[in-house]
Amino acid sequence: MSISSTPRRPALRLERLRELSLVIIIFAVLFFFGTQVESYFNPRFFRTVTTGVMIIVVVVVGETLVMLTRNIDLSVGSIVGFTAYVVGRMVADNNSLDPVILILLAIGLGALLGLINGLLVSYGRIPAIVVTLGTLALYRGILVEFSGAKSVTTATLPNWINELGQINLFSLGPLDFRVLIVPAIVVVILFQLVLSFLPYGRRLYAIGSNPEAARFAGMPARRIVMIAYVLCGALSGLAGFMFLARFGNLTVVAAQGLELQVVAAAVVGGVSTLGGSGTMIGALLGAVLIEVIGDSLIRLRISEFWKDASLGLFILLAVASDKVIVGRVRDLALRNRRRAEVIPSQVPPSPAVQEGSAHVQ
Amino acid sequence: MSNNANGLNLRFLRSWEGLLTLILVIVVLLNIRLSPFFLHGDNLINLFGVSIEKIIVALTMTFIIINGEIDLSVASVMGLAASFMAWLTDKGMAFPTALLFGLLIGLVCGLINGFLIAYLELPSLVVTLAGLIAYRGVARILLEDRSFTGIPPWYNDLGTQPFLGPLPLALVIFFVLFAVAIVVLHFSAFGRYVFVIGNNKDAARMSGVQVRRIKMMLFIASSLVAALAGLLYVSRLGAVRASIAEGFELDIITIVLLGGVSIFGGTGTLVGVGLSILLILSLRNGMSLAGVTGNTQNSIIGLILILSVLIPNLAQQANQTWKRREYVSRPKEQSITRESLP
Amino acid sequence: MNAARLTLEMRGISKRFDATQALDNVSLQLYAGEVHTLLGENGAGKSTLIKIMTGVHPPDQGEILLDGQPIRIENTAQAQLHGIAAIYQEPMTFPDLNVAENIFISHQGRGGLVNWRNMYRDAEAILTKLGVKMDVHRQARGLTLAAQQTVEIAKAISLKVRVLIMDEPTASLSAHEVLQLFNLVKTLREQGVAILFISHRMDEVFQISERITIFRDGKLISSAPAAQVTPQSAIRDMVGREMGSFFVKDKGERGKLLLSVKNLAKEGVFSNINFEIYQGEVLGFAGLVGAGRTDVALALFGATPATSGEIIFDGQPVTIRTPHQATQLGIAYVTEDRRGQGLVMPMSIAANMSLPMLRRYLNPLGLIRRGEERKTAEDYRKQLSIRAESIRLQANKLSGGNQQKVVLGKWLNTNPRLLILDEPTRGIDVGAKAEIHSIINRLAQQGMAIMLISSDLPEVLAMSDRLLVMREGRQMGIFNRENATQENIITSAMGRANEPETALA
Repeated sequence: MSISSTPRRPALRLERLRELSLVIIIFAVLFFFGTQVESYFNPRFFRTVTTGVMIIVVVVVGETLVMLTRNIDLSVGSIVGFTAYVVGRMVADNNSLDPVILILLAIGLGALLGLINGLLVSYGRIPAIVVTLGTLALYRGILVEFSGAKSVTTATLPNWINELGQINLFSLGPLDFRVLIVPAIVVVILFQLVLSFLPYGRRLYAIGSNPEAARFAGMPARRIVMIAYVLCGALSGLAGFMFLARFGNLTVVAAQGLELQVVAAAVVGGVSTLGGSGTMIGALLGAVLIEVIGDSLIRLRISEFWKDASLGLFILLAVASDKVIVGRVRDLALRNRRRAEVIPSQVPPSPAVQEGSAHVQ
Repeated sequence: MSNNANGLNLRFLRSWEGLLTLILVIVVLLNIRLSPFFLHGDNLINLFGVSIEKIIVALTMTFIIINGEIDLSVASVMGLAASFMAWLTDKGMAFPTALLFGLLIGLVCGLINGFLIAYLELPSLVVTLAGLIAYRGVARILLEDRSFTGIPPWYNDLGTQPFLGPLPLALVIFFVLFAVAIVVLHFSAFGRYVFVIGNNKDAARMSGVQVRRIKMMLFIASSLVAALAGLLYVSRLGAVRASIAEGFELDIITIVLLGGVSIFGGTGTLVGVGLSILLILSLRNGMSLAGVTGNTQNSIIGLILILSVLIPNLAQQANQTWKRREYVSRPKEQSITRESLP
Repeated sequence: MNAARLTLEMRGISKRFDATQALDNVSLQLYAGEVHTLLGENGAGKSTLIKIMTGVHPPDQGEILLDGQPIRIENTAQAQLHGIAAIYQEPMTFPDLNVAENIFISHQGRGGLVNWRNMYRDAEAILTKLGVKMDVHRQARGLTLAAQQTVEIAKAISLKVRVLIMDEPTASLSAHEVLQLFNLVKTLREQGVAILFISHRMDEVFQISERITIFRDGKLISSAPAAQVTPQSAIRDMVGREMGSFFVKDKGERGKLLLSVKNLAKEGVFSNINFEIYQGEVLGFAGLVGAGRTDVALALFGATPATSGEIIFDGQPVTIRTPHQATQLGIAYVTEDRRGQGLVMPMSIAANMSLPMLRRYLNPLGLIRRGEERKTAEDYRKQLSIRAESIRLQANKLSGGNQQKVVLGKWLNTNPRLLILDEPTRGIDVGAKAEIHSIINRLAQQGMAIMLISSDLPEVLAMSDRLLVMREGRQMGIFNRENATQENIITSAMGRANEPETALA
C-alpha cells in the first residue's frame, strides 16, 4: 500500500537538530569571545555564567510547560519577586524558621499564584496573554502594598540563607559548582523526563499541537492546562527562594522584567509560541546561550547596557531562523513525500467513475 | 457604529458599551462625592493630561488588536524616541531637528516590526516582545543611567501650558487623532480591511486584499504614534531618562481590551475604547483622590483587565449551564450553545 | 450478514435547535460487521445524529442502547469507553506527535509511564493488521489526508472500537485512496465492527454498504438493504422528488483567445503545463486529488506563484505574484476551501461580496458607500437565488450551498474575464449543485472564460468544452468534448495499468 512512507527512522528529529545547533552556537560564541578577550576562560567567568543562569533555568522549565500548551505566562517575574520577598520577610521576622518549611512555603506560594493564573486561563477562558499581563501587574501591586515600602536585607536574614549562595557543591579543577545549581539541574532533568515519559507530558504536546483534536480525543484539556500553570507557579516559587538566597537584599521590584528573559530563553531554545514543540534541554540551552552572550559582552568591556539590546536581537534571530530554515526543510520534506504519495501503485477499478453515474441519468 | 458588519457581536458590543457607560456614570458619581471639583474643566483637562500619552497610543493599538496582532513594544519605542532625541541634542544637534529624528527612529522601529511580522510572518507577540527588550536596550545604550535635562523651555511649556483655548497640545493632538481614527476604522476601506484580516487572514489575501501592506502600515503607524507620544511625554516631564514610559504597554492594552476589543481580533469599536479611556482615567483620578498609590492603582488596572474578559465569559457559561439544566425538564427549549457549534 | 448481532440501537431520537427540528423521532440500528450508510442532503440531520452518538450533544428525547442496554453518552471520552469512535473528513491528528502516539493518544493518562518500545511495537502491529506500511516513528505533520485517516482508523482499533462512524471520509480523497480506505473498512467489517458511513458520492455508497438509510429534514424517510435501493430511488428519497437529467452545458460560441499558459512550472509541484482558454469556453481540469490542478490554479491566481513559465493574458505576457495582481487583471478564483479562504465568516453577506472590489464602493474621501454595497449584494442575492433573509446576515449562518453562492457572487462582482472554479459543488446538496451548474452555463454564454476543476468526473465531463487531465503534477493531455469519455479520462488520470508498485522514499 502506498499510504506508507519511509520505513526508516528519520535520521534527525527537528527538535534534536535544534538542540544540536544551539550547542554548536554556544561553542562558537565561546570560541569567538575566547579570541577577543584576554584570559576569557577563567573560573570566575564559569561561576558568573552558572550562577547567573540557574534561577532563569528553573523558571524557564515552568514557562516551557505552559508554552507547550499554546499559552504563555508573563507573570513569572512577579511570582518570583513576590515569593522571594514574602519568604524573605518571613524568615527575617523569624530567623529560626526551618529551611525545608521555608522552601516548601516558597513553592506553595508560587503554586497558589500559578493556580490563579491557571483557573483564569482554563476555566475562565480568558486568553493567557490577558490573564498574565494582568497578574503581572496585580501580583506586583499586591507585593508593594504588602511590603509597606520596606526592604529585605542580608543583615536581617539568618546566616544559612546568606551562605547558601556561596557554598560550593564541589569543584572540578578550578571550576566551582555552587550548591544552587542542584535545583536547576534536577528540575531540568525531572521535567524532561516528565515530558518524555509521563502521559501528562505527552498530553501537553497534544493540546498545544491540536487543541480541537485534544477535545475530541476526550482529554481533560482544561485541567491539564491548569496544572501546567500551577507547576509553572511552583517552579517560579522555588526560583524565588533561590533568588533570595543569591541576592539577600531585596526590594519590591525584585525580579522585575525576569519574564522577558525567561520567554526569550524559551524561544531561543526552540520552544514554539504556537505550542506543541520544544524540550526542556532546548530551553536550558537557550538560557545558557543568552547568559553566555550577556556575560561575554560585559567582558568585552562594552557597556553593560548592550545586554538588553542584544537579547532582543537574539529572540528575533531565533524565531526568524526557525521560520526560514526549519520551514524550508519541512517544505522540502513535505514536497518530496507528497510527490511520492500520490503515485498510485496499481490501477484501481476506479469505482468513482465506472459506475459513478448516479448523478448523470 | 460598528463597521465590522457583524450582526451577532453588534448586539454584544452594544450591551458591552452600555455596561461601560453605566460603570462610567457610577465612577463619575463616586468621584463627585469624593471631590466636588471633579467635573470642573481644569480637573477634566488634568484628568486627560496625566495619561495623555497612553491614550494616544491606545488608538493605534486598537487597530493592531482588531487586526489580530499585538504590539508590546510601544512603550519601549516611546522611550527610545525620547532617548534618541535627548542623545542627539546632547551631541549638539539643534533641538527641533532632534525631535524630527526622534520621530524617524519611531519609523525605523515600525519598519522593523512590520517587516518581521508582515513579510517574514513571525508572530507579533514574539517580535514585539523582542522589540520591547531591544528598543529599551538601545535607549539604555544611548543614555545609560544619565538623566537628560537640556529641554528648551518653549518645549516644556508646550507640554504644560494651554495650547488651544484651555487645552494643552497633546490633548488637541489626541482629539484630532481620535476623530481621524474613528473615520478610518469604521468608515473607510482601510478600516474594513483591518477587520477582515482580523477575522480571516487567508480569506482576505485570497480576496485580493494586500494583507502584508496593511499589516506593515499598521505597525509603522503604531511605532510612529508611539514615538510622537514619547516626545510629547518629554514635553510634559521636562527631562529624559532611558526608563521613560517603561511598563506603559500594560495600561495601553488594558484600555483597548476593556473597550470591548477582542484579543483574537476581528471585533471592537473605537466608541468602546473611548468609553474605556474615560472610565480608566476617572478611575485613576478617583483612586488618587482617595489616596491610593500608583503601584496599587496598577494592580487594580490589572485586575480590571482580567475581570473585563472574565465577567462576560462567566456570564455566558452560567447562561449555558442554566440552559442545559433547563432542557432536561423542558426539552423543547434548548438552544444552540457555543459548545454545540461545530 | 442478516443474522448479525445488533450492536447499537437508537430509539426515537429527537433534537431541536431553536426553531429547527434537527432530528424528529429517528430510530436506527447498527449491526456488527455491517456497513450502514446514511444518506441525506445537507441539513437533513446526519451531523446532529453523529454528534449525539459521540456525546457532543445530548438528545432531547429518545434512548441509545448498546448490546440492548441503555447507555448515556455525555462526552467524547464516554463515547470512547463505550467503543464508539468517529472519523471526520478533516482528520483529528496531532501534527507534533508521531504516528504511534497519535494511535495511542487516548490510552495515555491512565497512569504509568509511556513505554515507547511497546507503543511502537503495538502501533506497528495494528497497522500491519490493517495491511498498511507506515513509519510509526515519524511525526504526523505532513501526512496526507488519507494517511491521517489511516492513523485515525488505527486509533479507533486501539480503542477496541465497536461502532465506527465515518463522516464523509472520502470527500477529499483520490479514487485510489478511496479504494485503500474501503479495503480498511472491509477489514474492520470482518472484525465485527458496526460502521456508520456517510458520503455524498452515490457510487461509493452502493459499493460499500449493506444497508442504506435516508434522512430528509430531520426525519427518517427510508431504511432498506442496499440491494433493494437504486441510485434513482435514493435520490428521490433524499430530495423528495424525481431528479431530471444531469445538467449539460450548452455548446456555445468560442470567443477570442484570453489566456495562454506555456511551460508553467512550480518546482516540486507541477511542471510543463501548457494550455489556452478562450472566451465563452469552459476548460475542465480532471485528475486525482493531489494531481496538482489546484496548484496550477493557485499559480495563475498568484497565491503560490509559479517558479517558471509564461502566462499570456489577453495578449500581454504577465507575471502574477499576488492574488491582488490577479484580481486587477480580471482573474477570479472561487476556492475549494470556503470556510478557510472563501468567506470572512462572522461578517455579513454584503461585506463579503464587496471585499475584492471595495475600491468601487468608495466616495471621493475614501469612505465606503454602504448603500451601494447593499444594493450590489441585494442584486446578487436575487440573481443567484441565495436563500438568506437579509444580506446583513452573517455568512456563517448560511448553508454550504448558499455560502458557495456568496463566494461566487463576490467574484462575479469583480466582472472577471477568467473565472477559476475549484470544486465548486463539493459538499453541496443536489439542488444547489444543479443551480450552480446552470450559473456556470449562463456565465459561459455571456463570454466569460471558465476554468473548472472538479473531482466529480460526470460533472466535469458534462460542463466542459475541453478537458485537461493532470497526473502527479504533469499535464497528460487535453481532450475535446467529442473524445472525452470516462474511460479515456480515467486512463489518462491514473496512468497505465499494472504499473509496478513504487518504492517510496
